[in-house]
Amino acid sequence: MTRTSDETTPDIEVHQLSVWYGQTPALRNVNLNISAGQILAIIGPSGCGKSTFLRVLNRMIERFSDVRVEGTVRVGSFNVLDDHVDVTQLRRAVGMVFQHPNPFPMTIFDNVAYGPRIFGMRSSTQLRKTVEDSLKQAALWDEVRGKLRRGAGTLSGGQQQRLCIARALAVNPRVLLLDEPTASLDPVSAAKIEELIVQLKSQYTMVIVTHNLQQAARVSDLVAFFEQGRLIEMGNTQEMFTAPREKRTEEFLTGRFD
Amino acid sequence: MMVRQTFHHELTDLEQELIRMGALVEDQLRRAVRSLTEQDVVLAHQVIVDDDRVDAMEMDIERRCLTLLALQQPLATDLRVVSTVLKIITDLERMADHASDIAKVTVRLNHEPLIKPLVDIPEMARITSSMVRLALNAYIHRSIDEALTMIRLDDDVDHLYARVFRELLDIMRTQPETVAQGTYLLFVANYIERVADHATNLGEWVIYMVSGRRQELNH
Repeated sequence: MTRTSDETTPDIEVHQLSVWYGQTPALRNVNLNISAGQILAIIGPSGCGKSTFLRVLNRMIERFSDVRVEGTVRVGSFNVLDDHVDVTQLRRAVGMVFQHPNPFPMTIFDNVAYGPRIFGMRSSTQLRKTVEDSLKQAALWDEVRGKLRRGAGTLSGGQQQRLCIARALAVNPRVLLLDEPTASLDPVSAAKIEELIVQLKSQYTMVIVTHNLQQAARVSDLVAFFEQGRLIEMGNTQEMFTAPREKRTEEFLTGRFD
Repeated sequence: MMVRQTFHHELTDLEQELIRMGALVEDQLRRAVRSLTEQDVVLAHQVIVDDDRVDAMEMDIERRCLTLLALQQPLATDLRVVSTVLKIITDLERMADHASDIAKVTVRLNHEPLIKPLVDIPEMARITSSMVRLALNAYIHRSIDEALTMIRLDDDVDHLYARVFRELLDIMRTQPETVAQGTYLLFVANYIERVADHATNLGEWVIYMVSGRRQELNH
């Protein structure tokens, strides 16, 4: 499952992005680019705008009331904030995984087949192949291969989260958004998800929001530090964690902040 | 309030212990060279015994660094401080070993009359121990400038070393009976020169700690 990508232009381009909830600014003039196949980790204190940023990338943001978004965001060929963009196709291209595993109340198979079916896949041979491929990619296949007709609720929390990743992969996305994907998991399940993220990275561009700095250090290529809706600093992971340029980043990473 | 206060207290304690170790090492070097110039065998034995204190301090600081890395997972400046301390103590321990080596020469010579009055060797030692002190000050002040100033002194030590080397060689060539002691004194000059090199390492680590950049400045 490879996809072609233009090596020269960034996969995700965010220009002067600002978001307000009512009168409250949540993001202010954020500019950043991410190349194809890179993992960006977004770190910062609660309320810094991390999750808001993620929600803009697949326009989940518009499900909140009284929200205003300015700026331009391009993901692949999608002009994300354009009124005429096909949001269904955008969300197909930009998959999302949440903090709490949220499998649909249906079988394991149907969870993964859900997206492909919506996008018109009817052939049961094709569906079976897609489900198997996606579960393999999500490193869940070996654990569920004989149990595909069981309810997704019978799986453990970590397995459910990998099922949600398989579900996101089944529609062949370009980008994966991960919002605290291991926050509700035990350490072993969390480690499996982390390992999975690293394995998937050559094939997808990923943005992960995490409160776990060590996790950000382990999985990401780039780190962006947000504070009060502003992008304070972004750089390669190794430099950000050993010698950040900005004092605010330094203070956050060393715990010298209010 | 600041979060991670406990961790930062531990880090401060660790740094104070490092400075104490550095001061002890500087003292070891000065006393070792004095034992040689004054032919003080008792003092030399004291230096050799005290090397165990340096070793114990190194082990203790190393253990505390590893504990902080494992339990606190420091980042950014904190990470650079812990890794700098971990590197610096190795240099300090080696310096102390050389001081001990010099003291052992004093013991070996055992009041044997010196083949020449020692001038350049004590001068090398004076510059070198001031380098150690300056390196520790640069650490305390988080000062790249001070580290660079200190590192430049290494050239003076190298020049003196070259001169001592030539001089001792000349003496040994013309007076073969001095070869044994002359060789010992060459060792001493070499030990001091090595200590100065370790001091420049300290300076390089201070620069890394402050700036996040590693660079080779000596040799």
